[in-house]
Amino acid sequence: MIELQGLTKTYGDKTVVSDISLRVERGEFSVLIGPSGCGKSTTLRMINRLIPLTSGRILLGDEDVTRLPAEQLRRRIGYAIQSIGLFPHWTVADNIAVVPNLLKWPSARIASRVDELLDLFHLDAGEFRDKYPHQLSGGQAQRVGVARALAADPEVLLMDEPFGAVDPLTREVLQNEMRRVHEQTGTTVIFVTHDMDEALKLASRIALLDAGRLVQYDRPIELLTAPAEAFVSDFIGKADLGLKLLSRRWVHQYQQAATTSGDAPHHWETDAQGHPTCLHGGRPTADVPPRVAVTDDWTATPGMTMKEALSRMVWYRVGVLPVIDDAGRLIGEVTLEGVMGRQP
Amino acid sequence: MNHDEHDGPRRIANRVLATLLVASLAGAVLLPFAAMAPNRLVSGESVSLLTALRPWQTLGLAALAGALALACLVRPLGERRGARLTLVAAPLALLLTLYGLGDYAQRALTDASPAARVSQGAAFWVLVFCTSLMIVDAFQRLGSSLWLRSGYGLLLVAAVAALFATGTFNALSILREYFNIEDAFVDQFVTHLTLVGLALAPTLAIGLPLGLLAHRRPATRGVLFSVLNVFQTIPSIALFALLVAPLSALGDAVPWLGALGVAGIGAAPAILALILYSLLPIVRNTQAGFAGVDPATREAARGMGMTRQQILWRVEVPLALPVILSGLRIVTVQAIGLTVVAALIGAGGLGAFIFQGLGQYAIDLVLLGAVPTIALAVIADFLMQILVAVSRPAGAR
Ligand SMILES: Nc1ncnc2c1ncn2[C@@H]1O[C@H](COP(=O)(O)OP(=O)(O)OP(=O)(O)O)[C@@H](O)[C@H]1O
Ligand SMILES: [Mg+2]
Repeated sequence: MIELQGLTKTYGDKTVVSDISLRVERGEFSVLIGPSGCGKSTTLRMINRLIPLTSGRILLGDEDVTRLPAEQLRRRIGYAIQSIGLFPHWTVADNIAVVPNLLKWPSARIASRVDELLDLFHLDAGEFRDKYPHQLSGGQAQRVGVARALAADPEVLLMDEPFGAVDPLTREVLQNEMRRVHEQTGTTVIFVTHDMDEALKLASRIALLDAGRLVQYDRPIELLTAPAEAFVSDFIGKADLGLKLLSRRWVHQYQQAATTSGDAPHHWETDAQGHPTCLHGGRPTADVPPRVAVTDDWTATPGMTMKEALSRMVWYRVGVLPVIDDAGRLIGEVTLEGVMGRQP
Repeated sequence: MNHDEHDGPRRIANRVLATLLVASLAGAVLLPFAAMAPNRLVSGESVSLLTALRPWQTLGLAALAGALALACLVRPLGERRGARLTLVAAPLALLLTLYGLGDYAQRALTDASPAARVSQGAAFWVLVFCTSLMIVDAFQRLGSSLWLRSGYGLLLVAAVAALFATGTFNALSILREYFNIEDAFVDQFVTHLTLVGLALAPTLAIGLPLGLLAHRRPATRGVLFSVLNVFQTIPSIALFALLVAPLSALGDAVPWLGALGVAGIGAAPAILALILYSLLPIVRNTQAGFAGVDPATREAARGMGMTRQQILWRVEVPLALPVILSGLRIVTVQAIGLTVVAALIGAGGLGAFIFQGLGQYAIDLVLLGAVPTIALAVIADFLMQILVAVSRPAGAR
């Protein structure tokens, strides 16, 4: 748990961060978002005191760490930034081991921790341990950067637009990975971004800042459905609010039992292992054949967002998608009627 | 690399080599290879390459010239294989030239009076100079690693040393001069190196912190660099001379400094002047080295909880080191050269022979000061290059 109390930063007579108070529960993924220059980075960097506070208090667990020596505090807090800042003269393993080394862990423990983290990010330890940063792709370097920040099991992980500089495809992959890593490690995260889609994808709570002021701190769904003031809905953007909402909804929430009997308006054919093979009916238009083969692309998984499921329905012009488990077996279906028939 | 701007097929792949080859041939034919004098003080009569060398030596040089001519051409070898051939033929030509000269001196002096002298002529210098440049050029074309170059250079130095050790050059005037002053030579050589060392140590002790200061406090840069720049613009002789008066006053006024050797004449002003010349490159490169460290790296180091000292020694210094050492390389070579001038104010060093020789019109004595200075500078430069390469972080090599 980490709590900010009345965090304020002024430069001369310019107030850059004004009296921000918020509490991030243990294991929560909290996102700071807002327009450029609103004070996100300043707030984040005050937490690990890269920027000295003008006033306010910071509690880590139940401990007031406002007066703790900065270096000691930082070793308890992970920090990952957009420009990564890997040490170019050290190997990947040495980079990841920075904080454990500062904390004087025994070397065997450090070595196994490094391998564990490379594993967590699906980087082959044997291959990557001894590489130098310049031998990594942007995406790999950013994974190493986050692994380094997580190395000493920090009480909270601060991330400042970590995926801001990678290409959209890699960014998507890294976001998914971040979600998985967060689920697996349960680390408390404070994540800065100015991309609402990224925030909706990752956050369990969103703090919206404007000109140094905390406008609303809430669960994503509340931010979308119950904006505290006009600025919130303006910032989120009204045009694709429906889609944004669906990006916070999961297929398993909309999943219904799949019909396999021949007399329903549409039904699935499955093979001996239970994989869906064909759909009968279920197409909204008459100009397509009544029986179509199921391809990998028009299936859904329980963990997929409803936004993506809807996008697949639109693209393949079907009103229904099979929901499959990890082994590819049919476990349910989501339908267009199902999406429409529920308050998002 | 060499684009022929004329029409028609390109014949010459390496114009540098071709030019050097033509220059060496012209030099060898037109200029005197050696000079034979009845004694040390008169300038002797010229001896051409053809008369000085034995037929097999001349033929050998001609064959090597043919090989080098082949190495210039587009066909049949081309640039890279031509460069490899050059790396074989040019050093052989160089060694043969050296050996030929020593051999000639021995033959010429067997029946001459003990005072007679044989010295090297312009053609000899042209050949040595051109073949050396051919080797440098070939390495550049091949883009060979520093390690390969070092090994090759070491081999060549060993071959030349072997020629010296076997007494090949003992009959030459310059070596006879050397035997006359052997003890003094060793002394001055050591003095030369000592002066350079005594200047570089304080330069580093002062320059590195100043460079770090200039990096951390940008406001200090203007003053610092303009002051250090002033010293760079004062000609060396003038700077040595300017220091004479204040240092002799200081040595007189503060007896214990005087006892330490602080005086207007001698090592003290020389070392001080060398320090003043060396500071700017060290300070500037140190500052540039630190400035070259990616701010993101520094930010990450701070964010991880490294202390200032840890950031300095574990991150900034290792990353800045190659640039700092490049500064040291410049300064070392420069100091070796400048120390020659220090002989003028009585500091000693190899310059002593140069100025003494100039005063007596004894060219051999001048060379005895100049050639080792050049060799020292070249070797120091090479060693520093290796040091710079080694200091480059593994990740950036
Ligand atoms: N050292 C400083 N002196 C004065 N003003 C500063 C200083 N550092 C930052 N600011 C101002 O503080 C404000 C907030 O900066 P901050 O970097 O926190 O914004 P941000 O929300 O992270 O923006 P971005 O999305 O562009 O990264 C900006 O208006 C900036 O100009
Ligand atoms: Mg920012």
